[in-house]
Amino acid sequence: MNMRGTLSLTATEIKRLRRNRRYLIFTIGLPVLLYLIFSKQKASAYGVTFAAFYMVGMAAFGAFSGAFNNNTIRISQERKDGWIRQLRLTPLPPNSYVVAKILASMATSVPAIVIVLLLGRFYAGIHMAPWKWVAIGVTIWLGTLIFAALAVAIGYAFDPDSVQPVSIVLYFLFVIFGGLWFPLSGGLKTFGEVTPTYWVMRISTDVFGTGSIPTAGILVILAWLVGFVTLATLVVRAKAEVL
Amino acid sequence: MSHNGAGPVVSFENVSKHYGSLRAVDGLSLDLRTGETVALLGPNGAGKSTSLDMLLGLRKPTSGKIQMFGSDPYHAVQGGHVGAMLQSGGLMPEVTVRELVALVAGFHPRPVPVDITLKRAGIDSIADQRVDKLSGGQTQRVRFSLAIAGECDLIVLDEPTTAMDVETRQLFWANMKAEVAEGKTLLFATHYLEEADQAADRILVINRGRLLADGTPTEIKARAGAKQMSFRLDSVDEPFLLGLPALVSVEIRNDLVQIQSTDSDATLYAVIDAGYRPREIEVGSLGLEQAFLAITAEDDKVNGKAQAQPAGEAIGK
Repeated sequence: MNMRGTLSLTATEIKRLRRNRRYLIFTIGLPVLLYLIFSKQKASAYGVTFAAFYMVGMAAFGAFSGAFNNNTIRISQERKDGWIRQLRLTPLPPNSYVVAKILASMATSVPAIVIVLLLGRFYAGIHMAPWKWVAIGVTIWLGTLIFAALAVAIGYAFDPDSVQPVSIVLYFLFVIFGGLWFPLSGGLKTFGEVTPTYWVMRISTDVFGTGSIPTAGILVILAWLVGFVTLATLVVRAKAEVL
Repeated sequence: MSHNGAGPVVSFENVSKHYGSLRAVDGLSLDLRTGETVALLGPNGAGKSTSLDMLLGLRKPTSGKIQMFGSDPYHAVQGGHVGAMLQSGGLMPEVTVRELVALVAGFHPRPVPVDITLKRAGIDSIADQRVDKLSGGQTQRVRFSLAIAGECDLIVLDEPTTAMDVETRQLFWANMKAEVAEGKTLLFATHYLEEADQAADRILVINRGRLLADGTPTEIKARAGAKQMSFRLDSVDEPFLLGLPALVSVEIRNDLVQIQSTDSDATLYAVIDAGYRPREIEVGSLGLEQAFLAITAEDDKVNGKAQAQPAGEAIGK
């Protein structure tokens, strides 16, 4: 085990993300802007105010986009450029690259989530018990892990030329059918109930509204997580020799 | 050092790598010993890259065994015994040169101080530039710096000096000789034959995934078996020249005759015995480049058909 090496690679990945303007715009700038524009609508969703619904939606939108869109493109490009190969020629264990990517995503999703939650509290004036804030933040944060894992699978499976359209289509499927932008109802909701994004929303709004956590939602999220981690492991293994 | 010169640092035992019916590497056996500087020569597609990939644990042999530092390639690399630079290796963008070198040095059990590595690779002046904003030659030197960022026992370099100008290349080899003087083993693939001639004390020629020749530069040149001579002749008689004994090839440009011969004495005496008086006679060995071409061309002639035959057909020596 070379934990120190993996952590210093993680620190470098975080440093790179902080320097990347595109990354900051899509994970923090865009959700903040959308929240400032749309959060004051007089509506309700899933039994809470629109401001609360939209706060969760935008925090998740930014955090998931950072872990997913950004990583798929980088991983695919770094595979093609030979950076992953170069790392394999050092004493760093082969899985450190993927571990560092996921750890960096988890670390950089924290400010994306916290900033939107702070806006909800101080700009939209949402009040709730401290434990509820923590529970909502942690739910979104753990949801980020699903997308970080999927990003590894997609980044390894597709070339830089095709990875961008593939990740955008996939991402918007999860965003739309999970109801991050607008609440789901009717037939769309039946469909949305199988997505992890929908359940990240519902767990958060239920925590705020009723204070209860839907068990079905936790199971759905865990199933996706296990599925994507397995997929990522299989894809990385399959590409190990071709890199 | 866990390895002190007893036995080879690297050994390939009958190593093959097949992709379907293509034999990229075909029964390769060789040893590298401590402190040697070894050049790996071969035409494109000879199996150089595949051999280096297997040596570095990036690919697994289809059959055969590779041993390094008393272990396998994977553990030798993980143990920090090896520093390597491959053609296919890339750099991480969005960081500075210094940050990248420091990062990779930190992975090694015996890191070299970053400033020393920067100086050795000749990149101290660009240390604070972003990696993605460098020229081709600078990028090449940064890739090299990653191979020497840790104290290692074996350095493997694939075409290290492509994209370098002549001056940088000389500086590079001067630094490299200092590294090797500390007892490190160096294996490099190159297509600059004069580089192999000057820098290596041993040359491995591979073609079609097999080892064709293994020896000092002088031995490799002798192995081609031919001498080269040239002279000027006023009245050139081409049919006569073509009939000379021990002749390999003849080339005539105006009054200048260039001959390759397996017995330069016999060939030259035959010219003189026929009454000619050649001027400006020069006799010498083949250069490494010609020797290399002769060795691989002979192999292609003898074994050329083997490639077209179905897999499973044994290729004779």
